[in-house]
Amino acid sequence: MAVSAINASHEAVRARYESVDSVYRETRDLRLLGFVLFLISDVVIFSAFIFAYLYLRNSVPNWPPINKDGVQLPRFDVAFAAINSCVLFGSGATMHYAMESWKKLNRSAFNLWMIATIFLGLCFLGGQAYEYHSVAVTWQGSTMGASFFTLTGLHGFHVFVGVIYLIVLFLQANRGVYTGSKYFGLTAGTLYWHFVDVIWVALFYLFYLM
Amino acid sequence: MAQVTAPQKQGLGPGFWPVTIGLTILNVIISWYIIVTPIFDTFLHLPEAAAPAGDVDALFTYLSVVGNAIFVYVAGYIIYFSIAWRRRASDPPDAIGIQIHDNPRLELWWTIIPSILIISVGIFSVKIWMNLQNQIGDVLTMESIGHQFKYEFRYPRLKQSVYNEAHIPVGTPVTMQVTSGDVIHSFWVPAVRLKADMVPGLVQTIRFTPERIGKYPIVCTEFCGTQHANMVGVLYIDSQQDFGRWLSAQFKAQGQGAGPVNLSQGQATAGQQLFGQKCSACHSVGPFSQKIVGPGLGYLADDPDHPNLVTGEKPTGEGISHVLINGYQGPDNSQGKSGPSLGVMPNRQANGLSNGDIANLTAYLLSLSQKK
Amino acid sequence: MAVAAAHAGAILGDHDHIHPEPQGFIRKYVFSLDAKVIGVQYMVTAFLFFIIAGLLAEIVRTQLLSPNGGFVSNDTYNGVYSIHGSAMVWMVIIPMMTGGFGNFVMPLQIGARDVAFPWLNLISFWLFPVSALILFSSFFVGAPDAGWTEYPPISVQGPPGTSLWALAIFLIGISSTMTGLNFMVTIMKMRAPGMTFTRMPLFVWASLATALLNMVATAALSAATAALFIERTFDVPFFDPARGGSPLLWQHMFWFYSHPAVYIMILPAFGIVSEILPTFARKPIFGYKMIAFSSIAIALLGFMVWAHHMFTSGLAPWLQLPFMLLTMVIAVPTGIKIFSWLATLWGGKIEFTPAMLFSIGFLLVFTFGGLTGIFLSAVPTDLHEHGTYFVVGHIHYVLFGGSVFGLYAGLYYWWPKITGRLMNAKLGVWHFWTTFLSFNATFLPMHWLGLAGMPRRVAQYRPEFQLWNDVETIASYVLALSTLLFIYNAIESLLRGPKSPPNPWNARTLEWQISSPPPYYNFKTIPAVLKNPYDFGEPLPYIGLDRELDGQPPGNGHGEPAPAHA
Repeated sequence: MAVSAINASHEAVRARYESVDSVYRETRDLRLLGFVLFLISDVVIFSAFIFAYLYLRNSVPNWPPINKDGVQLPRFDVAFAAINSCVLFGSGATMHYAMESWKKLNRSAFNLWMIATIFLGLCFLGGQAYEYHSVAVTWQGSTMGASFFTLTGLHGFHVFVGVIYLIVLFLQANRGVYTGSKYFGLTAGTLYWHFVDVIWVALFYLFYLM
Repeated sequence: MAQVTAPQKQGLGPGFWPVTIGLTILNVIISWYIIVTPIFDTFLHLPEAAAPAGDVDALFTYLSVVGNAIFVYVAGYIIYFSIAWRRRASDPPDAIGIQIHDNPRLELWWTIIPSILIISVGIFSVKIWMNLQNQIGDVLTMESIGHQFKYEFRYPRLKQSVYNEAHIPVGTPVTMQVTSGDVIHSFWVPAVRLKADMVPGLVQTIRFTPERIGKYPIVCTEFCGTQHANMVGVLYIDSQQDFGRWLSAQFKAQGQGAGPVNLSQGQATAGQQLFGQKCSACHSVGPFSQKIVGPGLGYLADDPDHPNLVTGEKPTGEGISHVLINGYQGPDNSQGKSGPSLGVMPNRQANGLSNGDIANLTAYLLSLSQKK
Repeated sequence: MAVAAAHAGAILGDHDHIHPEPQGFIRKYVFSLDAKVIGVQYMVTAFLFFIIAGLLAEIVRTQLLSPNGGFVSNDTYNGVYSIHGSAMVWMVIIPMMTGGFGNFVMPLQIGARDVAFPWLNLISFWLFPVSALILFSSFFVGAPDAGWTEYPPISVQGPPGTSLWALAIFLIGISSTMTGLNFMVTIMKMRAPGMTFTRMPLFVWASLATALLNMVATAALSAATAALFIERTFDVPFFDPARGGSPLLWQHMFWFYSHPAVYIMILPAFGIVSEILPTFARKPIFGYKMIAFSSIAIALLGFMVWAHHMFTSGLAPWLQLPFMLLTMVIAVPTGIKIFSWLATLWGGKIEFTPAMLFSIGFLLVFTFGGLTGIFLSAVPTDLHEHGTYFVVGHIHYVLFGGSVFGLYAGLYYWWPKITGRLMNAKLGVWHFWTTFLSFNATFLPMHWLGLAGMPRRVAQYRPEFQLWNDVETIASYVLALSTLLFIYNAIESLLRGPKSPPNPWNARTLEWQISSPPPYYNFKTIPAVLKNPYDFGEPLPYIGLDRELDGQPPGNGHGEPAPAHA
């Protein structure tokens, strides 16, 4: 009984430590799980603020709310935000192509698509700056402004950090830190960038369409 | 590693059943004591001053019985096992205990029984919760607004508020609507067992029926600033007469004295509508015997069995208007007993009746008798 | 047997790396990446804050000797209890449980060399004293005064220290979230070969459930404190009713975290007690699977009951029902654990070491605290008890009697493993009894004071409450002094305590099978695990531990130190 138990455990161990890249694969496994859990906790922060927005929205009879002068605040303008959203979603697509290029070991295509992604990300941020300038609500004036600027601001901060991260990844990739088989940083970057996109889908719906 | 055989099974251990029986007896004694003793009154000097305090105390008693039973058994066994199964000096150094991992039947029972207990707690709690939701009020509707660091009270029709002291008449179902003028406060009357936070921008409603004449603290239990500890008000549960006198004094002090009622201006149709709003909860328009809370009022001026009103006055317009103005309070059973005093009819202030209302109601009631 | 073990060692040793030992005082003890060192750093720092927060409590108790107060001003008093509560929750119990015991014990118990992300661990730790400094420094600018719950609108208007409070809690929240993440990955991915979930020690199960809560719930607190900070600093209306905001919004966001937080504080204590009871009763933990799974059940249910803190706040009445009933449901898995621990005592050969005494004391006192929780879960009784000293009594029974007793038990238990020295057991027994008796005398009367009408967070009170307040204060002084017994014991042990053998308690979990203290690499070869560790009287269910206590340096079979991890 004891011998077969020992043999069984040896087999399990053998299976786990099979290849040369086992150590890397194990490390990548850890890091991937860790990064996914980090994104989950980030989703919880956004969810908490989204809950706050929905709660505040539901606690008044009118939305947009009526301000102190008895005037109802205007709804947000969908058109411009829709265009800006396409810019951001486009950057998600270019990021996807960048990863595909890397996996196919096409360095120059990767660089092109990465630069496109970074550029589109910056365009989105510029678009948000313009949007902040043109909306009729203020951060302090109403709960509509409070929730809008806080949530989109948190998102914009994430995009900003993401752009920096992508620039760093671009430089690292070109310095040879990643290879055809070891590129966890790029995987993480792609995941992060798609996460930022998904959050924006929710925010766009909640503020512009709902 | 020396193999040591586990000691022979010793049954449930020395003295297990005597201890269990002893703990059970202890439980029965304590439970009986909890049930028969009014805990709040005896130990905490907190009477049940108003409905629904009695309901809350009943739930508290049940929770105490259940909680005590669980605690006595758990604590008893902890102490007993620690003593009975302790390592003795005579035990070899590598002695081990009984190597048992689980006992599915035991685990099933100790899941089922606590679950049943918790379900019973849940059911009783929901029942008392429903009693609280269905608690009557609305005969006297008033407001309390919390401030840093005092309670403001607003009575119907009284132009200015009173501060820190609220009077309510015994036996009159009260609706208290609470909110705040600045930060979150709380309105708690320990003698009533009800509490509602006073939240700015929100109104909460408490309903209770005072049963026991006396003076009771109102306590703020939500931190509201430097003097939070000193935010204490007083709730006076008065007899109908005392309440009437107090509220009249407030009206007079504010130059809002009522003046005489002009009975000749009374409109019976308006009175009929008012009767439906204010009186029909307690009075029918049938004969005297058709009681709801108070007697039927359909034959006030025309009832050979009851030639006088309850005050002893003749059932003329004037006599009827006096009852409406002053209310009526029968023998006072509020001291030392729970339950409403007998024969309590709210006075005009409690019912929020203007002079015109009184005239209209009087006209209506007289018209009922005349129709028969 | 020896051949198989050597075989196992060869296979495992081929692909297993031991870093070279870090050099220099700074890399070894200040900015260390070793979870054991970080764990000790957490424990020492948290214990220091325990003393500070405890002294704050003594200021509170001294003020309450007289109905008119007078020891400190009301504003000071309000700041003192607010920082006391905030520090105890966020700077003492949570860091000690997760950062302290979680870091030191958990990796050893799963047969790992460290946690998944050592750099993240280091950052998590250093955020801790920084946050605490920010929190305590709020006294200099006007401490936050609205309790550890800081309800708006009063907290929006509160003293400048409230903003520091929000910042400190935000930062420690980041630290907690990262630690939770770190531990989740560690437990899920780095267990020794053969250690399936049902072979994990129960402290690891507790750490897993706690890590899940830490990782998910704390983010809600970060959002809440950020929103409060923003409203105070930039006048943004989340909670201001005049501009459409809602004070209740804060309560929802705050309690959505803070209820799971109480499980973060108690689950590790459950795990610690589950390790100590079998060891000193010399028999398996009773109902291993039920205890393990009920930990996860409690963690998940803990997310669904937050509004039982809000029964008087102005919720829609129908909402009170589900929260009341779900809260009552949690009593069932908790009760199952208590009965399982009881059954672990039954049939044992019980040795009353200080660790065991604190564990048994925990059972008594935590059960009582849990039962008063049922009184609070029922809405009609809660309407009377909320915001009174009844609640203060309840929370201290479960947090001091539960978490702190668990912490003391764990400290006495793992002291030899951490320090390589033994503590004076007799002094430990004295420490237990003085603590146990004075603890009960301090906190039991709070229950009837609350029922009789004494509210919480008050610098003065009505004269009829004086007798029991004075009893509590005197008892609290004894409780404070009893801590000295532990501190003295600890210092004496460190300076000249007898050296500890590797396994002074003859325990069976992996951390006891290596030297005390462990070498920096923990295990020379990662063992394989065949069974759960609680079968006393049977051989240890591990393979590959033969070389651990041979006194030789590690080697990985190739005769040279392996390169560091990628």
